[in-house]
Amino acid sequence: MTYLDYAATVPVLPEVIEAMRKAETEFFANASALHTPGHLAMNQIEHTRELLAKLIGAEPEEIIFTSGASESNNTVIRTFEGHEIETSPLEHHSIIEAARILGGKKKPKLYSYMLTNNEIGEILDVESVVKKTKTDKFVDWPAMFNQKTEWGKLIVTDQRGAYVHSDLTQALGKIPLDVKKLGLDYATFSAHKIGGPIGVGALYVKKGVPFSPLIIGGNQENKRRGGTYNTVGIVGFGAALEKVIKDKSWEKYDKEVRVLRDTLAKRILKEIPGSSINTDLTPGKSLPNILNASFKAAEGESIQLYLDAEGIIVSTGSACAAGDIKPSHVLMAKTGDAEVAHSSIRFSFGLENTMEDVERVMKVLPGVIKRLQSISTISM
Amino acid sequence: MQEGQDWVYSDVVKDHFLHPRNYLMGDESKFPYDAMGIVGNPICGDQMKMFIQVKDNKIVDLRWKTYGCASAIASTSALSEIAKGKTLEDALKISAKDIDDYLGNLPKHKFHCSILGHDALKAAIEEYKSKNK
Repeated sequence: MTYLDYAATVPVLPEVIEAMRKAETEFFANASALHTPGHLAMNQIEHTRELLAKLIGAEPEEIIFTSGASESNNTVIRTFEGHEIETSPLEHHSIIEAARILGGKKKPKLYSYMLTNNEIGEILDVESVVKKTKTDKFVDWPAMFNQKTEWGKLIVTDQRGAYVHSDLTQALGKIPLDVKKLGLDYATFSAHKIGGPIGVGALYVKKGVPFSPLIIGGNQENKRRGGTYNTVGIVGFGAALEKVIKDKSWEKYDKEVRVLRDTLAKRILKEIPGSSINTDLTPGKSLPNILNASFKAAEGESIQLYLDAEGIIVSTGSACAAGDIKPSHVLMAKTGDAEVAHSSIRFSFGLENTMEDVERVMKVLPGVIKRLQSISTISM
Repeated sequence: MQEGQDWVYSDVVKDHFLHPRNYLMGDESKFPYDAMGIVGNPICGDQMKMFIQVKDNKIVDLRWKTYGCASAIASTSALSEIAKGKTLEDALKISAKDIDDYLGNLPKHKFHCSILGHDALKAAIEEYKSKNK
């Protein structure tokens, strides 16, 4: 199998499986319990917290574990329920939909701009968004700022006219990250995009900014996220983070994976009539592992499934594949052309891919496209 | 763990997608047709064209072209098998449900968007009738 859908999920790393198996038996206790087995489980959770904090330039207490990126995203939007929320058009649905339902007119305002997009790999100019927030007018004492601790201390000590969240799910491990340098107030992460398990994520919440928990009714995470700790999953996240840090995986993506991606792009343009590239390949403009391409007169799901039949695994922004009636909102926002969106394929590389995978794609893909184009109602 | 089928579609759909019947490859003029019908829109993700040859009020042969997903290709291919040899009156009666039954049922969300071929066939038959009044 030639797996090129790493942006959807990364196969669980062997060292993650090993760590999780060990945790299943050794750290089975409820991590909130004060007894020794509970404390041992909590130590493991704190280890993962420290690793993530170190990797993104945050303090450990600024990290909250969640069930994944969608929960992290929803938590931030829920905090700003009834407030003005501005998002980029490229956000994940867990931002766009939540903002549409929960957004309002109150101040302070929330900006949610992902740093790197998952479908076309575009790197967004989050820095400019952060600068823009400085011009948002400060409003005295909205209800959000009145919250006090049980001892009467203000909870929101960092009071401003606007705050910034960034979904860093696709960026983690692929480019160097520093939430403080980026000037973020909130940031979303997910374990399974770096070889950890599905069902574990994290949210960075800067000290002193507004916050309300999404899951209420537990003292876990300093009352910021209720629910029994998913110790085994968090241990798996930790093992994946250890590998990212040890290998400096962002350097490998930049040097090794970028070459694969760029080679495939060049060959597609050269060898396949009617092809176009939706990803800006300029270094710094996109993640080095994502290539989104469109093939005139060939529909995305059909391309995807013909490739699947040949053991090549990719994804598509076509509506059909997602069980939706509209094609990818990201491709629509970027190209404004439904036909281009319906005919798009995303190749997303991982650290395990080699030039042989590129060769394999180029052995099969031109034939698949030619066949679909020749039976298509759209003429070339 | 459950051992499930490995494909998103039924075996019949898979077969018609991977080995479509009666498609028209390349230039449309390769197939001398008596009438043609078209349905759908690439903007919506699916478009189908049906080309029919009619003799003695029967569809003696037909070809199709499709821009669309796997189930669109499979359902048009299936329709071409169902319609071949039918009288024009019988061919007009072919419904989306007939195609769906023939294919062993498409996933529900695919039913409305990808079974369009029978409308293209209807359009082709109408065109034939109006040409041969």
